[in-house]
Amino acid sequence: MNILSRLNSPFIYLICAVIVVFVALLCVIFAVRAYRAGKAIGMDVTRMKRTIVASATFAVLPSVGILLGVIALSGSLGTPWPWLRLSVIGALHYETQVAEAAAEAVGVGGLSASQMTAEAFTTIALLMSVCIMWGMVFSLFTCRRYTDRLSRPAPKKKKDGKGLSLAGFGDRAMTAMFIGLVSAYLGSYVGTLVSGGGLFRFAGSFLPLAVALVGAAAMGLFIRLRERYDAAWIDSFSIAGSMLIAMTAAIFLGKLA
Amino acid sequence: MNEEIRREQYEKYLRTTHRLGRLAVVLTLAMLLGAPFVMGAYLGAMPDLAAFARGFMSIGVVYFVSCVAEYLIYVPMLGAGGTYLAFITGNLINMKIPCAVNARDMVGARSGTAENEIISTLSIATSSLVTIVVLALGVILLIPLQPLLQSPALQPAFDNVVPALFGAMACRYFRGNLRIAALPLLVMSLLFILVPSLTGSTSFMIIPSGAIAIGLAYLFYRRDRRTDGTEVSP
Repeated sequence: MNILSRLNSPFIYLICAVIVVFVALLCVIFAVRAYRAGKAIGMDVTRMKRTIVASATFAVLPSVGILLGVIALSGSLGTPWPWLRLSVIGALHYETQVAEAAAEAVGVGGLSASQMTAEAFTTIALLMSVCIMWGMVFSLFTCRRYTDRLSRPAPKKKKDGKGLSLAGFGDRAMTAMFIGLVSAYLGSYVGTLVSGGGLFRFAGSFLPLAVALVGAAAMGLFIRLRERYDAAWIDSFSIAGSMLIAMTAAIFLGKLA
Repeated sequence: MNEEIRREQYEKYLRTTHRLGRLAVVLTLAMLLGAPFVMGAYLGAMPDLAAFARGFMSIGVVYFVSCVAEYLIYVPMLGAGGTYLAFITGNLINMKIPCAVNARDMVGARSGTAENEIISTLSIATSSLVTIVVLALGVILLIPLQPLLQSPALQPAFDNVVPALFGAMACRYFRGNLRIAALPLLVMSLLFILVPSLTGSTSFMIIPSGAIAIGLAYLFYRRDRRTDGTEVSP
């Protein structure tokens, strides 16, 4: 039996399936508790339902992208382990890098079924688990204190007028942080186009930037429609719809690249 | 309902969320770290701990730093329940964070409030379940789906999921916040143009970019308050 057949054996599937089912149950428990708590404190049920619908539609396309990560890794690590990793804790853009680096570190020279051994696989699997577990470890020890501190009311303005109250700045800070996050990624697409193929040679791929622009234009259209027809339901599908349009555009723009 | 009773109920919910979250994290960690050893026992080849230590020294440190940054940045966006679930289920930057932020803004929840906590948890739980279902279906249908998903014609679409997502999010967030967005976007574009190798460390560049945006937001917030002489609604 070759290594991939062993890595795809029913027993390995069973181990991974147990963990995936456990995490799925956790999600259901957290969702049900949050929904009930929302109702108990008098939140509008319609808004909670809109959140569920919008999040579900939002998640479909990125999930298909993540599935491609499973397929990409399944050629060297079998299917069950990448399936587990990308369902639980893993991240699409980290997982392949970590697996590749781990394979080099354990001496199989890169991710390849022809060089994979059972010992290399278990070592790579352990490395992949340990390298990306720190967010969970931090949440175990500090989440309570950190979130308590964040929800504490901001100190008020002093009587002499000095020192500015930060009350009300929290939302702006969160929005600004997200703007910073998006700016970093958009900046990287500009950098890829301008200097990706050599400094200022404009020889890099234009595709990520073009796709982002199409996504932005599509979102602009959805916002316009929502405002014009006062149709709040459009919000639930606008991100997924914009992504679908941008990804479809990528297929056609890709032919020009 | 009495405001006092509501607050008590919410505080009770938060306490049990932390207890449940910690238990969930411990169990998930035990299973994830135990799985390679159980598989090793089945395959007759336990992990090589010396090779593991070498590997961890070379790549683990990088991811440790990245995890610290992610933790500090994302917890304020996620709330308690959202944090536990998001770090257990992963895929933060390409799904959970934009999804939670989108849901929060869609219903107009303010950060640090009970509403934000509930909406964020609902959003992350739902998106995680969708991913689990899509991946499970994908694995079951792997053989028939593989040619379609890996067809060269569709590759540009799946290679550009993240640009499509961030393009759409940029339109929603830059609109109305152009004075905050312009400078970080310009600085990041210049940095990535002048140092192209930074594209491999985009997740680290979120920190300076976010710091610029928050700094500008604070300056404008201060100016608006001084101009109006009143509290400014966010």
